[in-house]
Amino acid sequence: MIKQLQKIYFDPYLFFSLLLLSTLGLFFLFSASNADFSILLKQFFYVVFGLIIMTLVSQPDPDIYRRTSGLFLIFSFLLLGVTYLFGPEINGAQRWVRVGPFSFQSSELLKLAVPIFLANFLFNKKLPIQRKEIFISLLIILSCFFVVFSQPDLGTAIIIACSGFFVLFLSGLSWSFIGGSFVLLILSSPFIWNILLQPFQRQRIATFFNQDIDPFGASWNIIQSKVAIGSGGFFGKGFREGSQTQLNFLPETETDFIFSVIAEEFGFIGVLFLLSIYLFILLRCFYLALNARDRFCRLVIGGITLTFAANLIINLCMVVGLLPVVGMPLPFISKGGSSLISLFFAFGIIISMSTHKKFLPQ
Amino acid sequence: MIFEERQIEKNNFSSRAILLFGIVVLSLTAVLVQVFVLQISGYNDYQLAALKNKNYIVPVQALRGEIFDRDGKALIKNEPTFDLITRPNQIADIDSFLDEIQPVIFLSESDRYQYKKLEQEKAFVNKELVLKKDLSEEEIARFNVRGFNFQNAFIAKRYRRMSEYPNIFSHVLGYTSRTEDEFKSMPEIPRSNWRDAELVYAHGLIKGRTGLEEIYEDHLSGSHGKRVYEINSRGKLVQSISLTKPLQGSDLYTNLDIEAQKSAAKFLGNRRGAVVAIDLDSGGINVLYSSPTYSINQLSNGMNEDDFQTLVNNSDKPFFNRALQGRYPPASTIKPAIGMYGLSNNIVNWDFEIKDPGFFTLPETGRVFRGWRRGGHGKVNMHKAFLVSSNTYFYSLAYQADIEELSNHLFSLGFGQKVCFDCYDEDQALVPTPEWKYSVMNAGWVKGDTVNLGIGQGYLLATPMQLANYASLIAKKGRFIEPSIVRLENKTKPLKIWEDDRFDDSDWIKMHQALLGVIESDFGTARSIRDLKEFQVAGKSGTAELVSLDSKEAYQEVRTSELLRDHSIIIAFGPMPNPRYAVSVVIENGESGGAVAGPVAIEVLKSLIND
Repeated sequence: MIKQLQKIYFDPYLFFSLLLLSTLGLFFLFSASNADFSILLKQFFYVVFGLIIMTLVSQPDPDIYRRTSGLFLIFSFLLLGVTYLFGPEINGAQRWVRVGPFSFQSSELLKLAVPIFLANFLFNKKLPIQRKEIFISLLIILSCFFVVFSQPDLGTAIIIACSGFFVLFLSGLSWSFIGGSFVLLILSSPFIWNILLQPFQRQRIATFFNQDIDPFGASWNIIQSKVAIGSGGFFGKGFREGSQTQLNFLPETETDFIFSVIAEEFGFIGVLFLLSIYLFILLRCFYLALNARDRFCRLVIGGITLTFAANLIINLCMVVGLLPVVGMPLPFISKGGSSLISLFFAFGIIISMSTHKKFLPQ
Repeated sequence: MIFEERQIEKNNFSSRAILLFGIVVLSLTAVLVQVFVLQISGYNDYQLAALKNKNYIVPVQALRGEIFDRDGKALIKNEPTFDLITRPNQIADIDSFLDEIQPVIFLSESDRYQYKKLEQEKAFVNKELVLKKDLSEEEIARFNVRGFNFQNAFIAKRYRRMSEYPNIFSHVLGYTSRTEDEFKSMPEIPRSNWRDAELVYAHGLIKGRTGLEEIYEDHLSGSHGKRVYEINSRGKLVQSISLTKPLQGSDLYTNLDIEAQKSAAKFLGNRRGAVVAIDLDSGGINVLYSSPTYSINQLSNGMNEDDFQTLVNNSDKPFFNRALQGRYPPASTIKPAIGMYGLSNNIVNWDFEIKDPGFFTLPETGRVFRGWRRGGHGKVNMHKAFLVSSNTYFYSLAYQADIEELSNHLFSLGFGQKVCFDCYDEDQALVPTPEWKYSVMNAGWVKGDTVNLGIGQGYLLATPMQLANYASLIAKKGRFIEPSIVRLENKTKPLKIWEDDRFDDSDWIKMHQALLGVIESDFGTARSIRDLKEFQVAGKSGTAELVSLDSKEAYQEVRTSELLRDHSIIIAFGPMPNPRYAVSVVIENGESGGAVAGPVAIEVLKSLIND
């Protein structure tokens, strides 16, 4: 029995910290949803399902992900196309694809498919990577970005782009190229502002710089979020006692602004504890990335970890008022099955890549 | 790849990964710092902002204090009434609601119109709107039987500010009216919340406007309470968290005397005039009456526009408080003051005599100042001058006066200034001086002006309040108390003292004897009122001329216009020899002072003394 268990590929650090994080998430969500048991039950199901998926995904040898990475990308891209053509429109955006009783946010798959494909594409190339390879990589990243961006879903589009760029960067993109594209980005910012951004996105950025513009309209969310966090104080107001949350002054409590709920009800102490768990997970992943068995695994673990970090940091910065408002959930805590399951999936891959050892140099 | 290349690649990866990891840690630190700034440094501000979000404070109106007379009988009470109150925001169709409820409680067209107008004007959040005030017992009974049909209407107890004597005390008590700033004393409650106030008065937010209601507003109004509700982001009330109960305002105990005030009203009748009576022991004002009057009950509880306009346009000016604001020439009632001046300035003494031919000729210009009796009074000393009211005597006395000194003397007796401690909008009337005449009339003071002052005509003007104050000064021989309407607990007012080295006790005794003679002797000008009473009264009557005329024949012509007839005035105090009350009466265009104003003064004194 014990021997059989030993054959299971398993990382206790990641497993238990993620279990802790998602269990805490259930409590937070319960409070954030005004004690809605049906939401809690659904999320509980997703957590259990996610943990099973993570364990299953970590069993096969990472080689299989490398070999199927092309297929995975194409499949994800097709699914996105299906969403675009047939997906229901919810709140003015087409993001969901329905499979029987389940609906799934198809763009979530790209967060994984893009970094794995790029890692596979780049891992055996000569250093420094050549222009042709950069061009192909950029083409893939940008096309994925724009398809998701046009749903419209800026938050996920940014994360997908990040996931690609992180792999590119880690695989040795030259500094001059990075500098050059940065200049290009700044030069093209008027174009981005005027043509790419939707009016509501422009307004969000405008209100980020001046919250007095429209305190009861565009700035409402961020103002109320700050009030919720600030009024939590050091110890917080207590579980289910946050007036900003419970009386609905805080918007989107179950999704984007759930961090404000935590900060209001559990205070600075609670925030410190939560961030420690995240930091622990990130540290563990970086350790695994640095000690991965080969270049492909390094790139994938590094890429996924940084994508996860970017997701976390953008959400945190947004709700505390350091970045303009952009739709992005707090990983492992916000309500939503797609995000949760794809996160567990991603960590399954990390565990798979870090637990399967190869003793012969490639 | 060869081994070295792999090693380079790995090192390259490691350094870049560490760089990015550093950025991640930095970002998380930035977030933590920001959370610290919000939660620790900004805690107080955000805590307040969160409370402001969720707490919705509404004022809870306090009942005003009540007002009582000197015997503890209520002059103004908070009287409960039953009103039909609706929740308009929960009624889908106002018109059909009104149609349905119409048979239960009687609603006039204007009630309906008024209700619908208010309903549209105000977006009541949670709110209540009075459909009908002061339901009759029958209406209450009918509603109680059929009220289950009307989920959004209910009967509630509301108060009205009511007086049992709404007309006779109107000027002194004053009225309340709707206000916009009732809850200003609670700055923590935003003005926009006032519409959700819990009201106790049917008339809504009220405030004293005139009379004692205004003067003692702070004393009467009490302190309002507040109720804190928790609301959600849509402004919907979740629950009531706390209630600070309102504190009813303090009651006012006045010196007013209902019976005496009734006498004043009864004997003035529908004539224009005023009566003021003062209790000499306390300085308390027992009577403060101005005629004609109006109903404070109507004014305080919502008067319809037509009735209000009728009052405003009434040529007798019922809103005008003649007792405090009416400016009248004091006429012969000023003579005691002139006599006091003559005695204390050694111009005359009690034995000094003149011959009164019925007129006085001003030496400088030859202008003739007439007495009231053709042929005069023969030999006149001061005592007789008071009794027969010799104009010539006081003309010649005033002729020798220095106008500056005389003006100061009149000021010292309370003329030309406010004399009442707690009267609403008291007028200071006028003591003329050369500077005043120069600045107002752009003309110099002439001797004739001083001579006219000697009989209280010309520029000198006094209010009935000032005359009563002056009467109490004389009655108390210069040691009197400032008049006041309200008896304030633990507050004894200091004695006011008028004194002069050359006007001693014997002068006061002689003065009292002379003024007693005005009414009680066979020669007194006011002897016609002698037999109206059982006690003795001292006083001085006056007839204020509104037009200056040289002959009685000319006055007969003037009489045909009522508003040009002389004012009838009297000041009196009694019972002698130890007076307890002083009174002043002015009857506009009433003519002969003693015969017209006199009986009113006597009746008021009677009801005070016989009480």
